[in-house]
Amino acid sequence: MRNLDTPKENTWCSGCGNFGILNAFKKSLELLETEDHIPLQDVVITCGIGCHGKIFDFINVSGFYSLHGRAVATAEGIKLANPDLHVITFGGDGDSLGEGLEHSIFAAKRNMDLTLILHNNGTYGLTTGQFSPLSEKGYKGLSTPFGNIESPLHAIGMMMEAGATFVARSYSAKPDHLANTIRRAVMHKGFSFVEVLQPCVSYNNTYRLYNQHVKQLEVVPDDYYMALSLAKDPEDIFIGVFREEDKALFHNELYGDYNPVKMSPDRQMRRARIRSLFPN
Amino acid sequence: MDKRFTIIVGGKAGEGVKKAVQVIAEAFNRLSYHTFQMDDYQSLIKGGHNFSVVTAAQAEVFSAYEIADLIICFDSRSVVEHKIHRCPETVLVYNSDDGFDEAGIGVPLSALAKIHLEPGANVSISAISVFCGLFGLGRDFLVEMVKDSYRKNVDANIAYASAIYESLKVAPQFLLGDHTRVQTKQMSGNQLIALGAYAAGLDQYYGYPMTPASSLMHYLASKKEAFQVQTIHAESELAAINMAIGATYAGARTAVGSSGGGFALMQEAFSMAGIVEAPLLCVLSSRPGPATGVSTYTAQEDLMFALYQGHGEFVRVVASPDSHIRAFSLAAELLSLAWELQCPTLLLTEKHLSECMQSIVIDPNDSPFADYKKTEEPERYERYSDSADGVSPLLFPPSAQMIKWNSHEHLASGLRTDQAEAMLAIKDKRNRKFFTAQEAIAKYQRIATYGEGEFVVFAYGSTVLELREAAKHVDFAMCIVGIIYLEPFPTDLLAIYKGKSVVVVEHSSRGAFAEFLKSKLQIDVLASILKYDGRSYDPLKLASHLQEVYDAQS
Repeated sequence: MRNLDTPKENTWCSGCGNFGILNAFKKSLELLETEDHIPLQDVVITCGIGCHGKIFDFINVSGFYSLHGRAVATAEGIKLANPDLHVITFGGDGDSLGEGLEHSIFAAKRNMDLTLILHNNGTYGLTTGQFSPLSEKGYKGLSTPFGNIESPLHAIGMMMEAGATFVARSYSAKPDHLANTIRRAVMHKGFSFVEVLQPCVSYNNTYRLYNQHVKQLEVVPDDYYMALSLAKDPEDIFIGVFREEDKALFHNELYGDYNPVKMSPDRQMRRARIRSLFPN
Repeated sequence: MDKRFTIIVGGKAGEGVKKAVQVIAEAFNRLSYHTFQMDDYQSLIKGGHNFSVVTAAQAEVFSAYEIADLIICFDSRSVVEHKIHRCPETVLVYNSDDGFDEAGIGVPLSALAKIHLEPGANVSISAISVFCGLFGLGRDFLVEMVKDSYRKNVDANIAYASAIYESLKVAPQFLLGDHTRVQTKQMSGNQLIALGAYAAGLDQYYGYPMTPASSLMHYLASKKEAFQVQTIHAESELAAINMAIGATYAGARTAVGSSGGGFALMQEAFSMAGIVEAPLLCVLSSRPGPATGVSTYTAQEDLMFALYQGHGEFVRVVASPDSHIRAFSLAAELLSLAWELQCPTLLLTEKHLSECMQSIVIDPNDSPFADYKKTEEPERYERYSDSADGVSPLLFPPSAQMIKWNSHEHLASGLRTDQAEAMLAIKDKRNRKFFTAQEAIAKYQRIATYGEGEFVVFAYGSTVLELREAAKHVDFAMCIVGIIYLEPFPTDLLAIYKGKSVVVVEHSSRGAFAEFLKSKLQIDVLASILKYDGRSYDPLKLASHLQEVYDAQS
């Protein structure tokens, strides 16, 4: 396997949960190549803007550093152009559930065959710690100095309801679990969602909370309501796969086995088709 | 003498008014007449009042006329609404089951529909019967038209059409004159934009409904199987343009389209196309604004908005088709230029061209094809490698090379940078494309002139069509200058007009096009003729405006 490092200096804070995600992602790429025979060159990543997005610069994989909130839409376009590619999109909670919520919901609704890895740090790290869509009520940041008065969204519940066919949660400090979860998500045919619990050492240090409360789910719950209640358990924070099911893929429904970039009609064919519209 | 007829069909939304006129226009085409059809409708699905108008002539016709030779009213409201479209010679046919006009010809359109058609069927078919009757066309021709145009319940349709035809009981009112059967096809501007882009290699169209751009999406969606083209109706304009740019990363030739409001939402991604150097074709079909504005009418208020799409500095090409035939060729050119230059290109048009239909024949053999610069060193690929023309080679995944597109400022490798020197290097590389773009567009027709004369009228977009029709009715020599490429501006071709007094015609209330021309060409604007009520110009009224200006200055 080729060297996955880039010459870029890493600028995440020391102890940032993003290191765990980067390392687990590298591991999952190795596993995908060696175990699942998915060559690295078939993998394309996209990311939004925020601390999570810097992963783009630290990994020697092809991809697209997109706009804040739009990485899922970018990924959808890449997949629809060439469905042979494995498209993995990284998003922060502000990015994928705030500015770009619509794309996350609709990619799940479509069962678009791609993987969304949500870096859930419960804060806007790169813009200096404002509250995020997943911040707890009462969270104090520069824009909410007297405490956040909104309740957080629930990422797993929302993705299940939207129609994601693979829904999982993992923890940046559990590298093997995370690497395996990402691998399963990428191998899943359909929209796969991985919420990664990611402590932000500067603005929302949740290591103690997670280390105390994270529990591993051993089997996929076979019931929607069971999955939901486990995902929302008030005491334990379960990591594992909450849903894994088969459903028709958007690109297959759209164009079957066609591949738009590989099978694009040539110039002559296009001309003939246009001529055929007009009377002779 | 050029024979010309204008026919209006009016009725409620849902009564098949537009279709009725399409069929009449098709009949005219089969009788070797040129046609121009315009649909006047409101943003509603049922009820209200809609009308469509077709002007047919033996010579090419570029716009529709206000005063009709024949008005067919499906309901009583139409009889009232179309008083403004009548002159003493106008023949009016009304539905005697829903309306009355003492000078008109009453036909029981609804009662006969009840007898012959299925419940709920509309009276749309009756129009072609009235047309055939009043133009002295035989029953065989009527049956042929009905069969070809209304494919469901053919026998019932023929029975109904024949009953209307026979109940007319008046002698033919119009004479078509000699004609041979020449074949053209009525196409809307949006359909031709779609075909032009397809000719140049369009693989996928990403959109979100917004009149008057929606019919571009609808047309391509209908061609999915026949053309192998995919149309994706996304969750928003934001999604559409970001998906479309993502698809270009993987090598698909894509386009997006919307009206002003939709493009307002696409701004950030348009800028991203600038910095990631994505080859993206954008189609902006204008309607009166700002914001929701007036959905279903025409305007040219978005000129500056189109020219300055996005924030930040980056090259783009903006051009506007001045005719239906140009809608086809320009869409092909702009998709090709997007790929040649790796930048967003924008086709600016307006409802009048997007939705009006003209009889036309397209020859796709001369249209360009979107090709791109390929890498000569595939083993050492860098997405943003420097080059004399500012254009870096494209390579698509899967590849052993790392292919990074980056919306953050970046190094040649595509990895991000904040460094001052690196910023200069990449900005200078991109800026070189401003010169490259000027050269690239020079191979295409950038301006169009119609007529010769000292009286010079500037316009762009479908206003040129209106002027060409109006030019048939002025008694002085007039030169119409249509600007096709707006950015980069064809200063070299227009230098001859520097310092001259010209007339500018546009569909805006503030005269942005006139101001734009003044800033680019140092011309003196003798008169700025503005129209901003959403409607197209009646060619005769526009001609008299021009005549007034001409008389005043001579």
